[in-house]
Amino acid sequence: MGNALITIIQVYGALGGLVAIAFLFWGVDRIAPDARGAYVFRPLLIPGVVLLWPLVLWRWQVLERERDVAQRRHKPPRRSQDVFAALLALAIPIILVVALLIRQQGPFEWPAQEIEQASTEEASQ
Amino acid sequence: MSVKYIPVQWNFNKYFYDLVLLICVAVYILVFIRIGTPEAGVTRPIDGAIIRMRAFGTCAFLMLTVILCIGPLARLDRRFLPLLYNRRHFGVLTFLVALTHVVYVLNWYYAFSDISPVVGLLTTSETSGQLLGFPFEWFGMLALVILAILAFTSHDFWLAFLSAPVWKRLHLLIYVAYAAAVAHFALGYLQDATNPFFMIVAGGGAVMVSVLHLAAGLKASADGEQAHKGEWIEVGDPTVIPDGRAIIVRIKGNERAAIFRNGDALSAVSNACAHQNGPLGEGRIIDGCITCPWHGFQYRPEDGCAPAPFTEKIPTYDLRLEGDTLLIAAKAHPPGTKVDPLTVPERDA
Ligand code: FES
Repeated sequence: MGNALITIIQVYGALGGLVAIAFLFWGVDRIAPDARGAYVFRPLLIPGVVLLWPLVLWRWQVLERERDVAQRRHKPPRRSQDVFAALLALAIPIILVVALLIRQQGPFEWPAQEIEQASTEEASQ
Repeated sequence: MSVKYIPVQWNFNKYFYDLVLLICVAVYILVFIRIGTPEAGVTRPIDGAIIRMRAFGTCAFLMLTVILCIGPLARLDRRFLPLLYNRRHFGVLTFLVALTHVVYVLNWYYAFSDISPVVGLLTTSETSGQLLGFPFEWFGMLALVILAILAFTSHDFWLAFLSAPVWKRLHLLIYVAYAAAVAHFALGYLQDATNPFFMIVAGGGAVMVSVLHLAAGLKASADGEQAHKGEWIEVGDPTVIPDGRAIIVRIKGNERAAIFRNGDALSAVSNACAHQNGPLGEGRIIDGCITCPWHGFQYRPEDGCAPAPFTEKIPTYDLRLEGDTLLIAAKAHPPGTKVDPLTVPERDA
């Protein structure tokens, strides 16, 4: 399984590299007027494009075909944020309690007992 | 504000914020290494590499905890807003600290092996199908990958390119990252830690994140929907809006408008800033412009346009009076549309 995972990661990364080249040399100028003539910041975008190239391709085509709805830019995902926050608030105590329960020593370890000493005393008698 | 994308826009506040952050991280790491070392002895052989690994790991965890607290704190109390101002640098620094932790881990566990550490980690720690002994490293890796995605998309370009709502959806992954980090810490460090101090600090921090999010969620759900009158929504008494400030009106679903008073003129704009969808209605009018409380983008109240040379625009809304009651249109105008302000005398003091 490990090896398959590595192959998948490599293929994904290689495709991401290709998308990054196309996007940074050509796409950015077409879809982001603010970026025309600004080159210094482009290398900063490379890791993001490589990691998220499917998302980049999707947004690229939306902007390229002028399908972007300006009004939508002003509707933040409040609902989903509230849901995520509530789930996190619930998950934290559950994770902590489970982790403490499966701890072999209980919440805190007892101080170590020195069993060595008794046997040396016996031996010296 | 972005006219052109220059690498990073720096100003004094950001330098100061970053400096404080860096100092805190450095002090934490140094203190941890100092205090951690005496624990090591012949019976408990902990070497420098492990201490450093733990120092950076716990530091990243605590930083993530603080980041997660900033959002709800700022919602509960405006005095925490300044912390929000440069939260992105905080996030990027957290990613770097977590990455340092991982580099130490990989160098330690795979130091004498000739396979690459990353390949080693992916191929050797396969799950045994039970909770106890589940490789907690996987949770750590998940958190790291998410932190990487968030750090790499933190540049303003991504906000404009993806649009703020999509960018925000992507950045909601921070919640998943934190849950994964808690699991990583709880199934790893917590399992054999003998010193209760750190358990209490980190566990307490995580519980605080939980409580703050619940509190902020309850506060937010308390503001109800306004009464609809067909195309118009009832707002109420316009004189309650203080000069230079706004009230926030819920239009429908995720849409909110901010109604600002500038002297005796009322104007309504979208509550979501064009930058990161910050809550404009919690901002103020400064130099005649609506100023976002998060990072200070500005817009003219009458047309929602940022003053030249900036180019950001936000939607505007029509307002009207019916007797003494203020009404706002349920449908917004496209961003940057000019709407004549409504004149409403200020309340007599
Ligand atoms: S959200 Fe950044 S300035 Fe408004």
